[in-house]
Amino acid sequence: MRLRVLAVFLSAVQLGLLSTSLQAAPLTGEQLYDVACRACHSLGTAPDHRVGPPLGGLLNRQAGTVDGYQFSEALRTSGWVWRLPTLLAWLTDPDAAIPNNAMNYVNPLTAEETQRLSEWLLQQP
Amino acid sequence: MLTRRRLIEGSIAGLLASASGGCNDMGSGRRVVVVGAGLSGLNAALILERWGFEVDVVEAKTRVGGRLWTLDHLPGSPEGGGNVMGAQYGRVVHMAHHLDIALRTPPRTLPSDYCIGDQRISRDSWASAAANPLPEAWRSIPPQRLMGKLNETNPLLKTRAWHDPNLMASDQSADVGLKALGFPNAAIELINANNSYGNNLSDTSLMALYRIMGEFGRLSGPALAVQEATLGNMRLPEAMAKQLSRPVSLGEPVVAIRHSPSRVQVALASGKTLEADAAILALPLPALEPIEVNLSASQTNLLRQIDYHKVVQLHCVVEAPFWEAAGWSGSWWTDGLLGRIFTRPIPNTSRYNMTVWINGDHCDPLNALDETACTQTITQALWQLMPEARDVTSVGQLVRWSIDPYAGGVWALWRPGQAGTAHGAISAPTGRLFFAGEHTAEAYRGMEGAMESGERAALEIMRVLA
Repeated sequence: MRLRVLAVFLSAVQLGLLSTSLQAAPLTGEQLYDVACRACHSLGTAPDHRVGPPLGGLLNRQAGTVDGYQFSEALRTSGWVWRLPTLLAWLTDPDAAIPNNAMNYVNPLTAEETQRLSEWLLQQP
Repeated sequence: MLTRRRLIEGSIAGLLASASGGCNDMGSGRRVVVVGAGLSGLNAALILERWGFEVDVVEAKTRVGGRLWTLDHLPGSPEGGGNVMGAQYGRVVHMAHHLDIALRTPPRTLPSDYCIGDQRISRDSWASAAANPLPEAWRSIPPQRLMGKLNETNPLLKTRAWHDPNLMASDQSADVGLKALGFPNAAIELINANNSYGNNLSDTSLMALYRIMGEFGRLSGPALAVQEATLGNMRLPEAMAKQLSRPVSLGEPVVAIRHSPSRVQVALASGKTLEADAAILALPLPALEPIEVNLSASQTNLLRQIDYHKVVQLHCVVEAPFWEAAGWSGSWWTDGLLGRIFTRPIPNTSRYNMTVWINGDHCDPLNALDETACTQTITQALWQLMPEARDVTSVGQLVRWSIDPYAGGVWALWRPGQAGTAHGAISAPTGRLFFAGEHTAEAYRGMEGAMESGERAALEIMRVLA
């Protein structure tokens, strides 16, 4: 019986019927940052050539307060502090979270991915 | 009858049979073919390689870059394709920085005067000119700024949600929508004369125009600045392609794509077939349409329904500023055959690049002509309008994106009724086929939209194959 199951499985693999998506691991926070954030945000604490502010040391930072980066007035006056609930709300729908912000971004991530990314970002020094 | 399609289908069926017979190496399970070596395909390929995927990029043209095309053979190397990098184009700017592609503030395009019919009007006298067709309250608005009036009612200044069902009353003909908003007929006619964002206002969604004008309307101060690659925008995709482990296969049009739930086979016109675990179709829809591929019914319909913007350009080189003696500014906005004429100095020389730029349905009669006749038609109109240009102007390059089979136009347009759902439907993965290109971008358009879409397509593949 076990051999028969194995034979069926092998046939399925040979036929290409078993999608490797069944084995795909969830994307890590680092991968999600790399694909969805990295082009516009470094992981440092000082602004560089990128259009967005750096994301290092984010936990408990007041929104709109990185020295040398020109934030929108909306961010500067938001009163937001970056912790998991605020970061989740921001990334899920920036326009709803802080209207008139300057981040032209539509989140392509699932809710689970956004959560994983947020948790990872808040751990970056 | 043995047609080319049957021959290809037969060979693909044979390959599938050989794979199912267990003779084929199933490989790493992380092999991806990217069809199209424009910014979107190259960006997706670079991200996937970074995470360990084996990536083959195939390109129908003999160069990379897609709708970026620097005319290196002309003085000043003008851009025949994508020409503007917005200051907010974070992905483009970062990629340029990462690859040491120098960017600069473009030489300033000379200010524009106007031609209405055969009347030349200086920019300072537009408001009072007899040939200005606008009613009193609108007369002071220059033609190229009329569309900006849309931002007085634009819901997309507050949200990027351009598919929001609550806003879909605006997913109607822009022609009808502008009239309802109080735009006078004369203003609508002027917008239609040189509209970069629709072939004609009747076939363009007002929501699509809100999206574009909203993008501009949210910008102010330094965010409005634009850049270009100092040595030509093409240098960016060229440098991106060089980063790939495997060289881009150039001059390799795809003729058919067959996919199962876990495998993809891409058949090239050269007879080669590439096998992969997934494919990204990073090419404009008019270039995708002739490829044999089994898509969803809605995607197949949309391939034929989504319109692309038409542009004809004639790039000229001017030896001396012929406009100065008569007191003109150097660029022109016309409501005639010539569309707009953009003139800008070539740095460190006394010469100028002058581009005649014709938009939308006004391109149709020109696209019906062969290259020589098209060039002659445009130049005759040019000499008629400004005879003084003739002795100091040479014709460099005619660019016609609509009749390029691997472009089909400069960018996707959204017809009335398409802003709500068509964008999502045409971008949605079908089995192991994923889609990229500016037409699939959500937040941005143009070069940045292409880069954004490459990220999203890479992400979708990593979810399935990582």
